Amino acid sequence: MKKEFWKLAAILGLVMVCLALGGCGESRAPFAGKYRSVEPFAGKSFVDLDLKGDGKGTWTHAGKSTEFTWMVNEGRIWIYTKSGAILIVTPGNGGNLLSADMSADWHPGCPPGSCVNFRRVPEGG
Amino acid sequence: MAEEQKPSESKGVDGLKLCHLGQEVVVPAGERLVTQGESPEFFYVIQSGRVKVFRETADGIRTDLTELAGGAYFGEVALVTGQPRTASVEAMEESRLIKVSKEEFDHLLDHNPQLARHIIHQLSQWLISGDRRLESEVVHQVKLRQISWFDYVLMIGLSIILALVVNIYNDNRIPLVHDWGVKYDIPEISLMQAQELYKKNQAIVVDARKSAFYKQEHIKGASNLPLILFDLMYPLFQFTVEQTPGAKDKTIIVYGGTFSRRFDLELGRLLKQKGMQHVVALKDYSGWAHALPIEGQEPKEAASLPLGLPGYVEWLPVGIFLLILIPPIRRSPYLAIVGRIILGFIFISFALSKIMRPAVFALNVVDYGMMPSWGVNLWALVLPWAELVVGLFLILGIRTRAAATLIAGMNIIFIVGLVDAIFHHLPINCGCVGEVGEPVNWWKVTKNAGMLVMCIQIFLYDRFLVLDRGGFILRDRKI
Repeated sequence: MKKEFWKLAAILGLVMVCLALGGCGESRAPFAGKYRSVEPFAGKSFVDLDLKGDGKGTWTHAGKSTEFTWMVNEGRIWIYTKSGAILIVTPGNGGNLLSADMSADWHPGCPPGSCVNFRRVPEGG
Repeated sequence: MAEEQKPSESKGVDGLKLCHLGQEVVVPAGERLVTQGESPEFFYVIQSGRVKVFRETADGIRTDLTELAGGAYFGEVALVTGQPRTASVEAMEESRLIKVSKEEFDHLLDHNPQLARHIIHQLSQWLISGDRRLESEVVHQVKLRQISWFDYVLMIGLSIILALVVNIYNDNRIPLVHDWGVKYDIPEISLMQAQELYKKNQAIVVDARKSAFYKQEHIKGASNLPLILFDLMYPLFQFTVEQTPGAKDKTIIVYGGTFSRRFDLELGRLLKQKGMQHVVALKDYSGWAHALPIEGQEPKEAASLPLGLPGYVEWLPVGIFLLILIPPIRRSPYLAIVGRIILGFIFISFALSKIMRPAVFALNVVDYGMMPSWGVNLWALVLPWAELVVGLFLILGIRTRAAATLIAGMNIIFIVGLVDAIFHHLPINCGCVGEVGEPVNWWKVTKNAGMLVMCIQIFLYDRFLVLDRGGFILRDRKI
């Protein structure tokens, strides 16, 4: 029983390491930065999207910010909201343009009518 | 048990007047001196070297009985009983022996009571040790087949503890019970009242469900504000409301609640927090489709992404199902080992993808609409850990029969959920992996059915490479 316990404990330890490593995904560096929507959202102001290098991010619109986490998976950006929704964002033009699928239905593309496009804001700009 | 047959205890042959009998032979290592089942012809006394005594079944399972060295003897049982040889003997190293013929052996027994007594004593010892060995093996086999409540308490308890502890330290943690103790304080109206407001164009109707559900079927003219995207999409909704003529005087009817989550009440509360007035929900949250005019698209397969390697591996149990139709293969413990590795891999892979983001999986659970709202988060937290624990137990060979029954139970639940989703045309994917999922269709049901069959095979025939209460069981057991 004791041997069994230690064997299981060792395996669970390995699993924890795998979980920690698995959560990292692909490098975020190419897409980290600040973006602004190409058009005003909902007839109001622009949306500011800030993708931080540590996997956290903010969506700011009309002075209100919403926090989320993000990772890169197979070249696409996956935004995870606190409520459990996933927005898939498709980068274009070398990461300078982003198309966010607002349907949260895991479309690999960006369906018309549910798409918000962003352009990278130059640093210091 | 084996110690009773140690060569050191067979020193009794010294002084038993065996000299001047038989003929001396020298055998090289690996040579078989006696073969199980053969007619007996000789009795052997070992002068030097070592031999191994073993039995072999028809299907090749070998059981090592003992090893004998200088001073010991063998071959007397078959000569005394007149039955075929009961075991085989093989030289482990070059050995020198005295080979005594049956006639000489009988003559010796007739005239050497001391030797006769010694042989009777030896045979008695063997009988006793054989009984003990038999009892030990029976106990071992019984324990191997046993499933106790402890097995389930161990696996489920471990899953619950790990789920709760990891959730505490997880950045993406979720509450154990969604909105426990929250009072929504949203007025509810009957379907009749809703019909009246709708007919008089005095209502703004808002669907709180995911967009895929909305697209498939919604109240005619309703707008969609998915609760799960409220923070991001509210400005757009606010803009739409502001553009609606006479919006200030209209009642906002939120709907879209399900058995698993009251999206409507939660959305109503958030809208009130944003300062919206006259927000109401439907008392009969599921009756809108029959009471109000509806519109939508034909049901179509929900957006999905492939599962990758685990998705392909899932087909293996279906393929193996065909092998199971062949009786000798069906009963093979080796097939059970293959099944354990396949199922273990699938369940561990799926579990790892869900564990760190329980909120995503909780929404997948909600999509099926079968789990009461108080149980969704608990299920979303514990199930992935249960998948991981039983997957590990299967691969490591710990409590495999109990683990197989748990996986079978999970598969039955998954199959029921999938079939229900197919019949209700739910626009969802399977939710088997946290971030991606396959379409809900009969192929997915077939995969789960294949895994269920594999669990039954493991339950019935798994017996090798397992760590049970009696120790680790390998292919060749030394007893």
